[in-house]
Amino acid sequence: MHSRHTRLSFYLLLPLGCVLLGFVAPTLAPAADDAPDFSRHIKPILVKRCFSCHGPDKAEGGLRLNDQKSAHGELDSGEVAVRPGKPEESALIARVLSREEGERMPPEGEPLKPEEVALLKSWIAHGGKWELHWAFRPRGKPSPPAVSRTGWVRNPIDAFILARLEKAGLAPAPPAGKVALIRRATQNLTGLPPSPGEVREFLNDQSENAYEKVVDRLLKSPHYGEHWARHWLDVVRFAETNSYERDGPKPNAWKYRDYVIRSLNDDKPYDQFVREQLAGDELPKPTVDSITATGYYRLGVWDDEPADPLLARYDELDGILTTTAQAFLGLTINCARCHDHKIDPIPQTDYYRMLAFFRGLRSYGTRADQTSCNQTEISPPALQTAYQQVERRERSLDKSMREVEQRGIVKMSAEEQRKTETRERQQVLKEKLQAYLDETEWKQYEVLRAERETVRRQRSQLAPREMVLSVTRCIAQPSPTHIMLRGNPHVPGAEVGPGFPQLFDSAPVEISQPAAGAKTSGRRIVLADWITSPDNRLTARVIVNRLWQHQFGRGIVRSPNNFGQIGVPPTHPQLLDWLAENLVQGGWRLKRFHKQLMMSAAYRMSSQGNDAGLKNDPANDLFWRFNMRRLSAEEIRDAIHFVSGRLNAKMYGPGIYPDISPEVLAGQSRPGEGWGKSSLEEQARRSVYIHVKRSLITPILANFDFPETDSSCEARFATTQPSQALGMLNGAFAQREAAFFAERLAREAGEDRAARVDRALQLALCREPGQVDIDWGVGLIESLIQKHQLDEKQALTQFCLIVLNLNEFLYLD
Amino acid sequence: MTPRRTKRTGASFCRRTRREFLWQAGGGFTSVALASMLSQDGFLASQAVAADGTSAFENPLAVKPPHFAPKAKSVIFLFMYGGPSHVDTFDYKPKLFELDGQTIPVKTKGRGGSRNEGRVVGPKWKFKQYGQSGQWISDLFPHLATCADDIAFLKSMTADSPIHGSAMLQMNSGKILSGSPALGSWLNYGLGTVNQNLPGFVVMLDPSGGPISGAKNWSSGYMPATYQGTTMRSKGAPIIDLKPPRGVSRVMQRELLDALMAQNNRHLAGRVDNSDLAARVASYELAYQMQEHAPEAADLGQESPETIRSYGIDDPRTEDFGRRCLLARRLVQRGVRFIQMYSGGSHNDKNWDAHGDLVMNHNLHAGATDQPIAALLKDLKRQGLLDETLVIWGGEFGRQPVAEYANGTGRDHNSYGFTMWAAGGGIRGGVSVGATDELGSAAVERPLHVKHLHATILHLMGLNPNSLSYFYGGLDQKLVGVEPIEPIREII
Repeated sequence: MHSRHTRLSFYLLLPLGCVLLGFVAPTLAPAADDAPDFSRHIKPILVKRCFSCHGPDKAEGGLRLNDQKSAHGELDSGEVAVRPGKPEESALIARVLSREEGERMPPEGEPLKPEEVALLKSWIAHGGKWELHWAFRPRGKPSPPAVSRTGWVRNPIDAFILARLEKAGLAPAPPAGKVALIRRATQNLTGLPPSPGEVREFLNDQSENAYEKVVDRLLKSPHYGEHWARHWLDVVRFAETNSYERDGPKPNAWKYRDYVIRSLNDDKPYDQFVREQLAGDELPKPTVDSITATGYYRLGVWDDEPADPLLARYDELDGILTTTAQAFLGLTINCARCHDHKIDPIPQTDYYRMLAFFRGLRSYGTRADQTSCNQTEISPPALQTAYQQVERRERSLDKSMREVEQRGIVKMSAEEQRKTETRERQQVLKEKLQAYLDETEWKQYEVLRAERETVRRQRSQLAPREMVLSVTRCIAQPSPTHIMLRGNPHVPGAEVGPGFPQLFDSAPVEISQPAAGAKTSGRRIVLADWITSPDNRLTARVIVNRLWQHQFGRGIVRSPNNFGQIGVPPTHPQLLDWLAENLVQGGWRLKRFHKQLMMSAAYRMSSQGNDAGLKNDPANDLFWRFNMRRLSAEEIRDAIHFVSGRLNAKMYGPGIYPDISPEVLAGQSRPGEGWGKSSLEEQARRSVYIHVKRSLITPILANFDFPETDSSCEARFATTQPSQALGMLNGAFAQREAAFFAERLAREAGEDRAARVDRALQLALCREPGQVDIDWGVGLIESLIQKHQLDEKQALTQFCLIVLNLNEFLYLD
Repeated sequence: MTPRRTKRTGASFCRRTRREFLWQAGGGFTSVALASMLSQDGFLASQAVAADGTSAFENPLAVKPPHFAPKAKSVIFLFMYGGPSHVDTFDYKPKLFELDGQTIPVKTKGRGGSRNEGRVVGPKWKFKQYGQSGQWISDLFPHLATCADDIAFLKSMTADSPIHGSAMLQMNSGKILSGSPALGSWLNYGLGTVNQNLPGFVVMLDPSGGPISGAKNWSSGYMPATYQGTTMRSKGAPIIDLKPPRGVSRVMQRELLDALMAQNNRHLAGRVDNSDLAARVASYELAYQMQEHAPEAADLGQESPETIRSYGIDDPRTEDFGRRCLLARRLVQRGVRFIQMYSGGSHNDKNWDAHGDLVMNHNLHAGATDQPIAALLKDLKRQGLLDETLVIWGGEFGRQPVAEYANGTGRDHNSYGFTMWAAGGGIRGGVSVGATDELGSAAVERPLHVKHLHATILHLMGLNPNSLSYFYGGLDQKLVGVEPIEPIREII
């Protein structure tokens, strides 16, 4: 397995990544006075050009360039390869610059490029240290840099952005227009368009803090939680069924979804949000909320009929570990399941140490029992007590009744006796029992029976019990965890205990023996505490990057689930650390943080391109302008309901079922199975409430890049394909909503065609249409009537359909 | 340095195009980034022109060069859902006839769990040798038997699961875990499609319903939705949402699209650096063309009465599968990359899952498919298409030599050994690879795994199965998994 070939190909990957990154991000090289970053700029050169003779496998001349000690030390030749601070005395530089054949390094291939040599020199001048990958280092506390155009800076974020722009000789784009700004802010925070009234109010508000008022209003909107919950649900691979043959439902999965929405709307601190999901049942005082949060562990795929049960069990745990590491830490620990991580310093041991934290969890269930390990009762204590009392009474009555019954049964014929052991028991008892009992016994039986009936009635009058999807019946003393050789659970190796990845140099994990009668092992709270500790090197960086990603259109780190060395380096590492520190200092409060992002001048820039920017930084690595984006699948569907006037703002509760056409349902082995029927009003609720069935994703969502449900999604695709056009033109949903849209216009804008077109465009595009737009719409309606013999209503409907298909409707400036 | 490296440089990274690399790397499809990326490909220029509605749409399905010269250009995968019994179809086991009814020790694992003995159910159909190659084929397939010399049998297939759900996923995506891209997605990702007016990955379902797990079987998994399978029907509107609603004529739709384009172009002015906007305009034109081309492709009325008859479309028993086979040939002619057809759908005896009455079940499903499949092979050959069309036949697993229940002929699932076959597209006909034991209970000679089949398909299509990869979750994901897998050379 670990043949030279395999290893070689992995080494090759690194430099190539850099070639490409150079291509993606031409401005990423450090400015002249900055120290090059070892892992980003230097290590790739060493790996690519030097390691084959001076690396982990070979040390020709005594030199290993994967090891600082060797490089800083005296070599066999007496030279020093890297003399910190002194490039001119470093053999490494002398040798790569040498013109002599046999002297020059590397001996094969092209010499190093001048810019590569310059990087090496600068790195040595700055100390020539073998430093940890940036994300694995403790967070710095950078101060906002000095800038010359101080007038542009509204808050420290802008200083970080502007400093880089000024260095690159670029100017930030001018401020966005008010319409673009309110649309951007409203969509980004709530996932919905602003209403024409909200736009008008903002346009008319000439006060200094008009925009701030909008941001404050939006942060209070309950739609904020609905929209941002969906971002989180992508990351934790939320779905409400198990996949595989039966793709059976996960009862009460929607309560986890509601928990996320509520947590965000309540502005729950992020560290608490994480602790509740990872260890809500192990907190000192578990709450209904924190138990519901542990539904996190129950969201993954689960095979109720596994071919290899042991492997399936480890796959289930792998799903949890992979998601946890990527979601909270931006680490691809999953790569170390079968062997040491090829790129990051994560040995296979780390994988199983981390896995050990979850060993107290039971599997989701078995085919015969699909609830008892994943449903916790959270009814009010009084109700739980009432149920317990009723049940105790039921049990005692049933026992007494059976005793009396038995007295009769033993006197019955063999045939009748047999029947009492089958489903026919009640029938036999009803017909025959009295005949085999004496009068006293019968009276006693009748009394019992009456009482049993009373208890049954009592029970039926109790409020229903409430259950949540969660972890439950955990194992306080989990069985040992072993390293599985090559990831094969049938070949256990050495035993390991819970522990954090070694690269963090964390203190060893100490978990006290659970007390007698403890319900859980207490391991997950230790993990949660470590992840949410303010000085965890990744947690804060990872979450601020996600918040930035969904506000600015891309993360500062473009691979939000992978902060490792194979991920994409941050375009603004200093800013990222400043933001992370800022979040932690602000008590992990997300709303305050959002406001800060949105109040920056960077956020308020126009998305308009200009020649200098497009030429020098076409990928917008430096944020010289705002990024345009297409609405997400849910945003498109919600916006359609919003403009058609049907959006139902009802929040929370069990999932809804939009109509799915028979042609699509025909793909199921039992068409329609597992898909309910919702009223038209219910269907017009926000898309976050749509039941997520793994094998049957609602077509309009699937068409517009709803994420794969079975593993964590860090960033959605935004594809453009003809099936989207077909669905938006001919699909039943688009047609139906266009008709509702037309009815709304007729209702709200009177008979005048121009007024109708005006209203339609205000609703859909959030702006005041110009004359050219009005003429366009009126012209289309007239032509449909004249040339195609449509009546007024039909023509208006077709016009509405086209409005819903406009690029301007789907894209944000 | 190494060939592998050469392949990775230039326009692709881990066999991803630059666009996909950006999707992966960039918090979604960052339009601004694309502007720069694509302008270097000349993409932007063509897209900007596409806004005029005359230029071609360029999408991620654009044709990409294979790793090496391919033998086949298209694949037709005839999926016998439910698991056909190999010992009753192509894997001739004389010994089983003798043992009929006897209880013997044999290790099996199926839906009913693991067992160590069972009552042998003798094969219910006679076997004969056919063609110059003398291949054994049972009486279930009188028509197919006439194609024996074109077929290569894989008689030692194995899979990791004897349970429908996970075994289907493995046959379709290489993994028993849910969430990975299907074979058809991999091919379209690797090669693109030559006909932009039709989907590159077509799935045709049985009228009784889809297979279990439904759309999971043709999902693009962690790849963009661009590569997912499109279900296509041989009756009515062939593709979902293809047909404009009642009252919307083609002329009228043209006018609607023109209006849409006019307004979109106004929006585009001042945003010309955003290639997404232009691409979206162009995608409407492609949709418009698909409305014309897809029904034309699906119009079997253009075929001669002899052709119709040869596929059995005039016989109620074979009509449906015959229509689909004929449609498959028409799609291959039009450059569709991967077509999958399900024989059987829904549950139990609606597919090949013969737990109860083997005779009834297999007569039904073989009867519905034998003539159409033979007609397809002959038709492809006649049209000169067989050489470049790889036809695969098989289910997610086979069936056990012993009975599942105390009474009856039903057989439980068997993933330890089963038979699949391949024809056309660079396959050497008239050969047979591997063997099961004398009972047909497990592969013993040259055991083949689903991965070998996948590797063979990719190889024949000009892709190196061990280097076709997609970066996801920190890993270079491959259809055939981490370990290098060789294609089945004996049949190439």
